Amino acid sequence: MDSGGISDLDLDKYDADEQVKIICLGDSAVGKSKLMERFLMDGYRPQQLSTYALTLYKYTTTINGQTVLVDFWDTAGQERFRSMHPSYYHKAHACVMVFDVQRKITYKNLPNWYKELREYRPEIPCLVVANKIDADIKVTQKSFNFAKKQGLPFYFVSAADGTNVVKVFKDAIQMALSYKKNSSDFMDEVMRELENFELESKEESSDKEETQEGKLDSA
Amino acid sequence: MSIVAKRCGVRFIPPSIILIYENKNTSKTRKRVIPVRNFSQYSDCSRAAERLKHHVRHSVYLESVSLAQLERLHLILRDHLKGLSLEESLAARRASDPSDEDLNKLSDEELNRRKAQMDQLFERNRKHKDDPDFVYDLEVEFPENSVRETCSWDEEPSDEGF
Repeated sequence: MDSGGISDLDLDKYDADEQVKIICLGDSAVGKSKLMERFLMDGYRPQQLSTYALTLYKYTTTINGQTVLVDFWDTAGQERFRSMHPSYYHKAHACVMVFDVQRKITYKNLPNWYKELREYRPEIPCLVVANKIDADIKVTQKSFNFAKKQGLPFYFVSAADGTNVVKVFKDAIQMALSYKKNSSDFMDEVMRELENFELESKEESSDKEETQEGKLDSA
Repeated sequence: MSIVAKRCGVRFIPPSIILIYENKNTSKTRKRVIPVRNFSQYSDCSRAAERLKHHVRHSVYLESVSLAQLERLHLILRDHLKGLSLEESLAARRASDPSDEDLNKLSDEELNRRKAQMDQLFERNRKHKDDPDFVYDLEVEFPENSVRETCSWDEEPSDEGF
C-alpha cells in the first residue's frame, strides 16, 4: 500500500527546512531531462512516476555546512497537454524554465508557461535557460527580451558541452533556499489554510481516498 | 477564368513547376507546365519565386499557390542543380526551419523520432566526463553589452505576452 509513488508525492516533506523542490518547465524536447542528467552526471537516480507523467531526481548537497535535499521535478510528457497538474507546482521553491535556441516556438511558448507558473506560485524564483547554444554559438550575441522584461535571471547553456549547466542548478538551489527562508508566500499560506480546513472537515474520507489510490498504484 | 490550384510540384528535367488546377468555369482539371528559366544553382530562390508568382502569363494560375511554397520548390530545384539528391534536399528543408513546429503536438512515436534526430547533434557536441578537457562546472560568461542585437524572435507583432 505504501508504494513508492505515493510516499514520494507526499508534499508535506517540502515544509522541512532542509528540503527543497525545484521544478522544470518548458516545451517538449527542449532538453529539460538532458540538463538534469548533465548536472547530476552518474549520481542521478531518476524515479519515473508514470502515473503522474513526471520524473523525480533526488540530489543531496551541502550548503553553508547544512545538508540540503533537493527534489528536482521534471515532466515526462505532461507538458504536451500545454499545462501541468497543479500538484506539479504545489510547494515548489524555484523553477527552471527552458527553451531551445534552435526552435523559436519554444521561446514563444515561455509566456504561457510563465503565466501558469505564476497562477500557482506568484513569488518563487524563476530562472530562464536558453539551451543548445552548442548548436549555434552565435545566438549568445543576441539578447532575448523575455527574461529581461519579467526581471528574471537568464542563462545561455548547453547540456551537450556542459556550458553553465551546473551554474544554473546551483543558482536555482541557492534561490530556492533563500526563498524558503525569507518568504511567507501568500499562496502558501492560503494553501496551508485550505489544507488544514480540509483535513479537519473530512479527515476520514481523505484517508479512504489515499488507501484506494495506493491500491490502484500497486495494481 | 477562375482557377483553383490543386497541387503544385517541381520537375527537374527540364526545370519546371507543375501545377494541377481546376477551372471552376468548366469544372475541368488540367495540368500546366511552367518552365523555370534563367535559373541556376546560384540563383536567389525567393526572387525567382516572386518572379514566377507575378509572371504575366502564369500569375493567374498561381494565385492560390503561396509564395512560400513556390520558394520551397525552387529551393529543391536549386539543390538538384547543386547535385543533391531529392532525399538530401528534403531532409535539409525539414532541418532548415523546424523553428515553428510545435513538438508538443506530435504523437509519442513521432516525438521520439524527432528527439532521436536531435540526439545526433547532442552526441556530436557532447563532452564526456572521460574527455581530457572535461570540466564539470564549466562556466562561460556571455557579457551583456550595448551592441548586443535583439533576437528577431522578439520582433514580432504577436508579442503581447512579452
